[in-house]
Amino acid sequence: MAAVTVDRLEKALGSTQVLRGVSFEAESGEIFGLLGPNGAGKTTTLRVVCTLLRPDAGSVRVLGFDTGTAPQEVRRRVGVVTAEIGVYPRLSARENIAYFAELSGVPREEIDRRVDAVIERLGMRSFARQRAETLSSGQKQKVAIARAIVHDPPVLMFDEPTSNLDVLASRDVRDFMVESRGRGKCVIFSTHVLHDAERLCDRVTIIHQGRVVSGGATAQVRGTHRDLEEAFLSLVGVGS
Amino acid sequence: MSSIAIVYRKELREILRDRRTLVAIALAALATPIILLAISQVSTKTATQSYTIGYSGTVPAGLGILLTATGLKLERVADPAAAAAQQVDLGVAFGPSRIDEYYDPTRQGAQIADTRLQTVLGQYNAAKAAAALEARGVDPGVLNPIPVSVHPLSSPVAAAGNALLSFFLPYILITMCLTGGLSAALDSTAGERERKTLESLLLTPAPRGDMLVGKFLAVTTVSLAAAVAAIGSMLVALAQIGLPGTGSSSAHIGLSASAAPVMVWLAVLLAASFSSITLALGTLARNFRQGQAYVTPLYFITIFPASIVLFIPDFHPNLAYYLIPILNAVLVLRDAIIHQSVSWSALAVTSVSLVLTGSAAWYAALRLFTREALLVKS
Repeated sequence: MAAVTVDRLEKALGSTQVLRGVSFEAESGEIFGLLGPNGAGKTTTLRVVCTLLRPDAGSVRVLGFDTGTAPQEVRRRVGVVTAEIGVYPRLSARENIAYFAELSGVPREEIDRRVDAVIERLGMRSFARQRAETLSSGQKQKVAIARAIVHDPPVLMFDEPTSNLDVLASRDVRDFMVESRGRGKCVIFSTHVLHDAERLCDRVTIIHQGRVVSGGATAQVRGTHRDLEEAFLSLVGVGS
Repeated sequence: MSSIAIVYRKELREILRDRRTLVAIALAALATPIILLAISQVSTKTATQSYTIGYSGTVPAGLGILLTATGLKLERVADPAAAAAQQVDLGVAFGPSRIDEYYDPTRQGAQIADTRLQTVLGQYNAAKAAAALEARGVDPGVLNPIPVSVHPLSSPVAAAGNALLSFFLPYILITMCLTGGLSAALDSTAGERERKTLESLLLTPAPRGDMLVGKFLAVTTVSLAAAVAAIGSMLVALAQIGLPGTGSSSAHIGLSASAAPVMVWLAVLLAASFSSITLALGTLARNFRQGQAYVTPLYFITIFPASIVLFIPDFHPNLAYYLIPILNAVLVLRDAIIHQSVSWSALAVTSVSLVLTGSAAWYAALRLFTREALLVKS
């Protein structure tokens, strides 16, 4: 069974039809790339997968749970990291993580251990007790990752996670995605930076104007083109 | 721990670390005693201040002593009318058989001096008439054919104190129930959107209704704390300062036994209603600044009913008036403070009205908090 199954998904936001029958499957133990230019519908797709938005048509299943009928079960199994690193400024990094652990249903007696574990894993010990308002962007992004994984979800979704980060912080995020794949997680990586996707993803789906224009193993989608970017431009009829 | 308790504890922790909210509560607690102290000082100064009478002619025997004892200094001038318009508070021309008084009613000092002069002259005339009658062998009692003895049913000083309290207390209670938790309400709704924490919060499995209840309870707690701090400091200040102008210990003002529980009950209802309203408006707003713009009209709505009580002190409304939110709270508190009694029917109607208002606002907040547009438009 695929970890995430998206089947003929359609979604309109206001008068704009954002998704027009998007389908793909992502497996556990892989990094799955959801690629496309800005405005293609990647973020909307992820928001439907993680139950923030309801689909107009089609269906989404996460580890067998339908997002429409069992949204809370889906949320328990999903962790999401976005480009917008919103943290509670008057809470410490540790308190931010613990808050999400509690809300995610981590048993009370396990919270300290889980929070300490993610702090250790992401190398956050030096600033864990600092208020979030004093942290750098890279440190805040680590807090955002920590709170998304503290309940140990089997599915991780990264929506343009490096777009506001410097080179070092971006590398940390990429390393973390690779490490998560090694732990058997299903990692969905949404990005418009095709170079990053080519380096990290096992399989990709390319979305353009709300439709899937190509999908499969990364090498297969690249085909005879020099790289994914060239393949994408060719697919949407812009390339040479 | 339930999601409600988790959100409540976190919100409260953030609020207690928010300088804006703490400063607002501290200012509210300090501002009332300072204002009352200032009022007391000004009133005392006004009561003990001396005023000057510019006079011409001959002052009747004995009148000068009475005027001086009342804080009216005599100063000879050439033209009392001209002097009253400029350098003195009153002008008086003493003639052989009459007195002409000149004063400018637009000047507060002149008004006070006039009142004192009229009182002294009334006493002086009465004493002179009584002495003249007595010299002719007539009982001075003929001047007062129906003697009147006044028996106040309550202390006039206490009544004056209650009147003061009946304005200040509802005003402060309502204002603090609104403003005390305002910053917290906007921060936990519009602030979440502005800081981009809302999406992460909604991604947790906790029910959104529970999240909103946690936020509501935290905002209500802060509102109540602010109201209690402000009213507590006001009562302490009034107990220390006393009623302006009297200077006696009996003039000290306190809350009656019947008014105290009514005040607490209304504070809970008001704080809950305002919390629901501000959370709904905050959820509607995209950022803190927009939220502030949305809640600004609430200030006027809260100040207006307290002002009605100030300007129409003998306003005796029928029960239908108690359906109007906020005005009803002001009226119930006024009755409890001034008359030291509670109309249970009025209190019941008021409670139902405030509960319905709060419930409607709560329903709106919940609808807004669970709509997709909450995220899409952020």
